[in-house]
Amino acid sequence: MKEFKSINDILDFAINEEILAAEFYTALAAKMKHKHIKETFEQYALEEMGHRAKLEAIKNGKRDNFSDAKVADMKIADYLIEVDEDKENMTYQEALIIAMKKEKSAFRLYSDLAAAMTGEVEKKLFLNLAQEEAKHKLRFEVEYDDNILTEN
Amino acid sequence: MERSEEYIKNERKQDWRVALQKKTKAKDRMSIERAIMAETPPEVRITSQRIEVNTGLTKEQALVEASRCMDCVNPTCMEGCPVSINIPKFIKNIERGEFLEAASVLKESSALPAVCGRVCPQELQCEKRCFYVEKLHQPAIAIGYLERFVADYERESGNISTPKMLAANGIKVAVIGSGPSGLSFAGDMAKLGYDVTVFEALHEIGGVLKYGIPEFRLPNAVVDVEIESLRRMGVKFITNYIVGQTASLDDLKADGYKAFYVGSGAGLPRFMNIPGENSNGILSSNEYLTRVNLMGADSEDSDTPVLRGKHVVVVGGGNTAMDSVRTAKRLGAEHATIVYRRSEEEMPARAEEVHHAKQEGIEFLTLTNPIEYMADENGRVSQMKVQKMELGEPDASGRRRPIPIEGSEYILDCEVVVVAVGVSPNPLIPNSVEGLDVSKWGTIEVVKDKMQSSIPEMFAGGDIVRGGATVILAMGDGKKAAKNMNIYLTEKYLVN
Ligand SMILES: Cc1cc2nc3c(=O)[nH]c(=O)nc-3n(C[C@H](O)[C@H](O)[C@H](O)COP(=O)(O)OP(=O)(O)OC[C@H]3O[C@@H](n4cnc5c(N)ncnc54)[C@H](O)[C@@H]3O)c2cc1C
Ligand code: SF4
Repeated sequence: MKEFKSINDILDFAINEEILAAEFYTALAAKMKHKHIKETFEQYALEEMGHRAKLEAIKNGKRDNFSDAKVADMKIADYLIEVDEDKENMTYQEALIIAMKKEKSAFRLYSDLAAAMTGEVEKKLFLNLAQEEAKHKLRFEVEYDDNILTEN
Repeated sequence: MERSEEYIKNERKQDWRVALQKKTKAKDRMSIERAIMAETPPEVRITSQRIEVNTGLTKEQALVEASRCMDCVNPTCMEGCPVSINIPKFIKNIERGEFLEAASVLKESSALPAVCGRVCPQELQCEKRCFYVEKLHQPAIAIGYLERFVADYERESGNISTPKMLAANGIKVAVIGSGPSGLSFAGDMAKLGYDVTVFEALHEIGGVLKYGIPEFRLPNAVVDVEIESLRRMGVKFITNYIVGQTASLDDLKADGYKAFYVGSGAGLPRFMNIPGENSNGILSSNEYLTRVNLMGADSEDSDTPVLRGKHVVVVGGGNTAMDSVRTAKRLGAEHATIVYRRSEEEMPARAEEVHHAKQEGIEFLTLTNPIEYMADENGRVSQMKVQKMELGEPDASGRRRPIPIEGSEYILDCEVVVVAVGVSPNPLIPNSVEGLDVSKWGTIEVVKDKMQSSIPEMFAGGDIVRGGATVILAMGDGKKAAKNMNIYLTEKYLVN
């Protein structure tokens, strides 16, 4: 497992994760056949860049830490099957499923890392990072709940 | 139709209205009970897809119900109607016995009153805003029942008023899709003198009114009369014609069509994306209802085993789900069950449909969500795993969202599953027309209230713009589009 020597090390790791996520969405956007789905993934990439900026601000001491508010877990993503990421004609529903699942796995990664830490400060930071991802996931779940699970 | 407040006030001061206002005291009006709609008994109606549930008000009932209406100075009911029908004016015409006049008041604003009287969610629209509900906390005037009464009366009388038509101007316009939106647009454009052709992908005209909403709620004959009157106005219909496939938009332009109205609806079914969902016996509500409504799959000799089962489960809580589950009952299901992840209060279906479904013995599992399907050795669905849900704390938007209860999973038997969890816009036109602005949901972007898309000669409305909406909104869009396309075409081709 990766070793973390300092708090900054952990933040750098998390910042890099956000960069990778942004790249992932940018690559998906480039592949999409239809403009409106292209733009959706570009939007997600921008949101990841926003998360990165937030972490950088924390690292540079410009923002004091994370909020401790508990984040609801609607667990929508948990039961859905994976979307084939090689498809070029994804629907908006599929785009949201990819995003929910991605935030979920980031949440799991940080939760696992938190559990593996021995130092209290490191543990707390990873838990905070996990909560941030839970928030991002909730944002997609709410969008899914409001726009996809709309029986008419 | 646009109307100023002053116009409405002046109408109310007409002699005949004043006379009616004076004739009966408010106290006496208030003491009358709301009319009860007669219905076919549940045990009779569940034997056939084609027996209408509601049988309509009698003339006597309509007269009494109309006399409950206070003819309010400030008729808030009209604010609740998406197309601002002059509600007190049509109701007071009923009260004085002028039913045909009442019908023509309806037609000023609504192209399909016999349809809207049957399928509008009145309890969320006009009736919700009625003085009786807002101020007296009593049952609303039965505006929907009265609307249906008047429209049916006109149709059955054979005295259907033909609208005034302007002289033909020779300009060809094409309508893509024959749902309520396309039909109301076509009617208005024909009245304005345009040469209108409606292209429809299916073999039947009417969109959801025919392939979706079953005959036990909306008989085809009601819709056919409206289509006939459009034909008499010169509207041409071409069926089995998929614009974007049978011919492209450019082909139609080459054929001389100067402008287009896209009313292609939201007929693309959505699935949940859970494991096992592609097993045999699981189908979308769209496919299920189309097979029964348009392909006669409900008849005894029809060879459609896939549609019949002892246990039919329908997933969803909207009108589509109610129509599917009640259809399943009529096809002989012993248990026809709704599985819905939210609570009953949040069901988007019309309240009356939920009530009728319960009378018919439909079982309801609310706050319950399917998470997996299991198939037998032939790949046919046999069971589903569901999970109980609870409503979480209200979030920033004030909405209490369903959250799964850990460890609450259990198994339900099912031989047929109908998935009715929502629809997406039909993608053919949005995806194939170069330069057309489309939202991330796949709906066509239009200038609000003008219904004009990013392509000046292309207008759009109804479900293709709104996602899944309602008949009245789809119709209202068609009317707005006709008005604005007329302005566009007049400037471009008719003024010199
Ligand atoms: C089962 C069901 C029950 C409903 N119940 C109610 C209710 O009780 N009350 C209510 O207000 N609303 C109800 N709705 C919603 C309502 O029916 C819709 O909002 C409304 O019909 C939308 O009208 P539209 O004209 O936009 O589209 P539609 O009615 O969907 O019509 C679109 C038409 O366009 C055709 N088409 C699509 N693409 C092409 C193409 N490329 N070329 C040619 N033709 C094409 C389609 O075949 C279809 O006939 C219900 C919907 C369903 C499915
Ligand atoms: S609000 Fe109710 S009582 Fe008043 S005019 Fe409208 S229908 Fe009649």
